[in-house]
Amino acid sequence: MRAFAALLKSETVIFLRDKAAFFFTFLFPLIFILIFGFVMGDVDEPTARLGFVRASAVAEPALRDILEDSGVDSVRDYDSERAMRDAVLGREIDFGVVWDGNALEFHYSPSRMQENFAFEQMANGITDAFNLEAQNVEPVLPILYVHAGTEASTRWFNQMVPGIIAFSILASGLFAVSGHLTAMKERRTLDRLIVTPMPPVALLAATAVVRLVIVYLSTLITLGISVLVFQLSFSVDWTAYTFLVICSTVGMMGLGTVIALLVRKPSSAGNVANVLAMIMMFLSGIYFPIEFMPRFLRAISLALPLRHLAEAMRFATGVDDMATLRFWIIVGCFLALGLALFPVLARYVVRPQRN
Amino acid sequence: MRDILLVARNHVVTAVREKITLFWFLIFPVFLLVVLSLIFGQIGQEGEISFQIALANADQASNAPFSAIIEAAFDEVAELPASGREPLFQLRKPGKGSDVNAFIEAQLTAVRRGRLAALIVLPHGLGEAIQRNLMTRSSTQASLDAPGVEIHFSEGNAASDMSVSIIDQILSGIDREILAQGGAYDRDAAIPQYKAWVGTMSEEAPYVDFLLPGIVIMGFFMNGLFGIPGAILFSRDQLVLRRYWVTPLTVPRFLAGISVGHLVLCVVQFALVYSVGRFALGASVSFANVETALVLLLAAATFMAFGFLIAAVSKTANSGMAIANILNMPMMFLSGLFFPIAGLPFVIRLIVFVNPVSYLADRLRASLDVSVAAYPALVAVLVPAGWVLLSAAIAAWRLRWDVGR
Repeated sequence: MRAFAALLKSETVIFLRDKAAFFFTFLFPLIFILIFGFVMGDVDEPTARLGFVRASAVAEPALRDILEDSGVDSVRDYDSERAMRDAVLGREIDFGVVWDGNALEFHYSPSRMQENFAFEQMANGITDAFNLEAQNVEPVLPILYVHAGTEASTRWFNQMVPGIIAFSILASGLFAVSGHLTAMKERRTLDRLIVTPMPPVALLAATAVVRLVIVYLSTLITLGISVLVFQLSFSVDWTAYTFLVICSTVGMMGLGTVIALLVRKPSSAGNVANVLAMIMMFLSGIYFPIEFMPRFLRAISLALPLRHLAEAMRFATGVDDMATLRFWIIVGCFLALGLALFPVLARYVVRPQRN
Repeated sequence: MRDILLVARNHVVTAVREKITLFWFLIFPVFLLVVLSLIFGQIGQEGEISFQIALANADQASNAPFSAIIEAAFDEVAELPASGREPLFQLRKPGKGSDVNAFIEAQLTAVRRGRLAALIVLPHGLGEAIQRNLMTRSSTQASLDAPGVEIHFSEGNAASDMSVSIIDQILSGIDREILAQGGAYDRDAAIPQYKAWVGTMSEEAPYVDFLLPGIVIMGFFMNGLFGIPGAILFSRDQLVLRRYWVTPLTVPRFLAGISVGHLVLCVVQFALVYSVGRFALGASVSFANVETALVLLLAAATFMAFGFLIAAVSKTANSGMAIANILNMPMMFLSGLFFPIAGLPFVIRLIVFVNPVSYLADRLRASLDVSVAAYPALVAVLVPAGWVLLSAAIAAWRLRWDVGR
């Protein structure tokens, strides 16, 4: 027990001294949360500043009201088309409209291709409403919009945060074995530990316990910062959350074992893990919805553990719904993967290196 | 000169031999270019993205044909377009004779669980309600007690939100058709809507043309940020540099060699990324002009200087890599390379303003005519040039060329 306590202490100190591990576990998710929170936090409620030029002598009082009710943030009047176009170019406004008495001409900046889709949707709505007003008719097809998702998932950023947490679990679990243990092996630290009476399982258990505690803390900090800074709301099922974090970290350590076994050179294992983690990050629906991907990428994403971990994390944080059975199957699979590969890790990775 | 070229060759050969370096400098930019083009270049295009939606018509017994018209319109959208492509919507409907209410319940669960983008319910009595509205020519008067088309979706889920926006347009088209058929709306008298672009460009560039310069800059950036400190710090930590210093090689000539090697790597990287963009993804943008070449050269020099700066402030190779990792994300994502950065808080915007990546990406895109410059040309050159001078000064002052000296 004393030996285990000493191992726990040394593993904690090693982690705290390892700048790369510290960065990927604590800072990486936080930096992502802060950057994406500020850059994409308002993506669900696109607001736009519209410039308006009335080039017709014919007064059209209804148009001004329609523009203001169209969902744009503000409507600014301009005396000339040129002044309005300059304002679009200088980003004082987001897009502009000219009414010449016969047609509506919308002016966009070609530089803003990522936002123009939303501006054009607003323009379509304005023209549609103006046409109905001009012909004195109203829509005959009543439409009711009903939010069917969970309470928490009313912003895209809500969906992203559990995904980022899932990624930090993946990275931490993978690097615990493919980075940390293989580095110990390369530096011959493992060889020295193995010749002591300490069983390999004790070292693995100490590594796992330290990582579990640190990952759990890191996920809580990430969740807390997103709530405090961006006022996100989560409805966390703490039992499900705790089980998921523990089992998925163990499962990811199992995956790290597979990498450590497949890659001949120990130092390369960390690099391979880094590459795999990065590829999974882009294809698992964390930063953009899977539905936006082409069919073959959607099929690939199904095979990625990070996708299932992110979906389970969204369920545990109350952002998305999921069949309870599916959630526990995911948790069980991660645990089984980790437990099944632990003896393999002890037998083939934690062993003396031959010269 | 020969010693400079030998150092340059050594720098290139070391990079090429390291598989991980090859991945980050060559494979990763290409991977990102392909994935982002496939995803964002095709948003909203039929045949390229597909949403699962469900439609339940509980108004089949109605005498008014409107619900059947709406159902038929969605059936049409869900038909397969050209072979090998997917329809915009994959439509689920209840089977004949099955319980519509049970179907609705099951699909609502699917929407909640993210397996379905949206559920459209045409409630009983909808046809009569539309007919009544047509007679009174208003849905607002009847909306309080009359049933409407229900769209159940998951707000905040981007796929669900986008599918609702498309459903909205389809329903709007059906609405105008019903009004026109009923004689209440004259399509010919409708006010036309036109689209115009400001600036010198005649139209919006394809997404891949916009993305390609961003990826080129990102590649140069990563090359400088990780490649230069890696080459110097690992060589210093492993005492390779100490061996150099007992030869006639001087520090300035070593630096010149590293710089030449770095430029060669940038050229190789650019050639690969450009070839994939041009020949595999159909980018039409041409880099063959003097201004573009100068911007690329400035970008390579700026990020190389940044690499020297990191090497100068790092005690060990590992801490150098940690610093590079910490700088990598904020500088890359807060530059407009991939996402629009309008509307940021002031403090975050400050990072954008001092970030050389913002100016280089903006200038490169403007020189290629894929976007209108957001910054004046002089500023776009002075800020990166300022970083080059500052980094060079700090590197000259702080960079240690041997362990323990």
